Amino acid sequence: MSDTDFASRLGEVVARRIGAPGTIYGLQRLTGGANKTTWSFDAEIGNRREEFIVQLSSAGATDQPNPLADISPHITGDQDALVMIAAVRAGVPAPRVRAILEPSDGLGPGYVTERVAGETLGPKIVREEKYARARSMMTAQCGAILAAIHRIDLAELPFLPYQDAAQLVAAQYRVADYYGLRHPAVELGLKWSAENAPKNPRRTVVHGDFRTGNFIVGESDGIRLLLDWEIAQSGDPMQDLGWVCVKTWRFGGRGPVGGFGKREDLFAAYEKAGGARVDPRAVRFWEAFGCVKWAIGCLRMGMRGIEETGIERCAIGRRIEEPLWDFLTLIDGRDE
Amino acid sequence: MPRSMPDAPTLLGAAVKYLEEELMPTLTGYHRFKTRVTINALGVIRREAELRAAQAVAEALRLAAILGHGGELEALSAELAQRIRDGVISVDDPAMRAHVRQSLADALTINNPKWLER
Repeated sequence: MSDTDFASRLGEVVARRIGAPGTIYGLQRLTGGANKTTWSFDAEIGNRREEFIVQLSSAGATDQPNPLADISPHITGDQDALVMIAAVRAGVPAPRVRAILEPSDGLGPGYVTERVAGETLGPKIVREEKYARARSMMTAQCGAILAAIHRIDLAELPFLPYQDAAQLVAAQYRVADYYGLRHPAVELGLKWSAENAPKNPRRTVVHGDFRTGNFIVGESDGIRLLLDWEIAQSGDPMQDLGWVCVKTWRFGGRGPVGGFGKREDLFAAYEKAGGARVDPRAVRFWEAFGCVKWAIGCLRMGMRGIEETGIERCAIGRRIEEPLWDFLTLIDGRDE
Repeated sequence: MPRSMPDAPTLLGAAVKYLEEELMPTLTGYHRFKTRVTINALGVIRREAELRAAQAVAEALRLAAILGHGGELEALSAELAQRIRDGVISVDDPAMRAHVRQSLADALTINNPKWLER
């Protein structure tokens, strides 16, 4: 499909589903991977211009068979949209879905959401002076957003995959074995995680990648939008509270929560916003296991580096010790 | 054959100096980012060449003390990994924990020394 074809089909979708005349302006590709591309555009609706994002998934046509595909199951583009719709209804600042693409639209699977302006880059958000006010609001916002996500009725989203902590640890063992990794620090991380996995947790909707870098942030109002719902799952809600504390996602900022806040402030905000009582030990488990999981993620990226994106991915392979060091610091009780 | 001169660290130093001082100021966006990553990778190579041999000797000695026998570093490290997985060595074992901590610190000294200060 040529760009002009794409623009005209998109215009028809907008006119039909959102509002006429649907004239498209400023269509530009933001990110693109093998399976998914994101575009930004404006469209004329009535006599106003509105700002949108369209996300397309390529129905797996060019996808190579991946023996590890089931380790972190991605939900499909359409399901992704259904989760965001349920999240918005629950009061979560998730992208507002305006149209889910249908086969007759001729664009493949995907959806159109409203576009929200703001900063996503972690290092800027946690370090730059102009975001100081935003940072002072973000811990309480995180608590309230997580409490709202964890209140979504799971029955509305029956397709979300469920794995308990022990199963998630077992999956990471399989990745390490797939790559033939024999690494004492990784083994320590996995064994500790297997021995400390929380038993019989509550079961809720879990965002799965709730962290700095997936927030759109405004200088005066903090978190405007929570992105990246594609690994949403059903599981232990404490997982989301732990993941946002993993040191990698602090981007050098101060404060264990996302590089801007204190754990106890996050827990208090979560409980105040109607989240269930926080179990700090479970949160700590998820933070520690999150470090181990990210270490193995570094390995995976480093190993497929040369074929895919070259130097950048290769360099990530050399970051494997960073989260393992953070893991040890955490279980030694030397962290902040 | 005599050793080729200048030596590898000098050659690498000259390459990094060119990239950093002459090329980087002319770049923006994509290529600036990729070149920054490349300069960092060359720094890893330089530190590994300088430090790794001595680290490996000390690491093999620590492993031999924990395992009760000597051998090749890779094999010793794989054996410790297996003992941890099998539960033969507990996750709380102080000698193992000290060894792992030192090995990670060594690797970070090569791969990203700043991480140790954070």
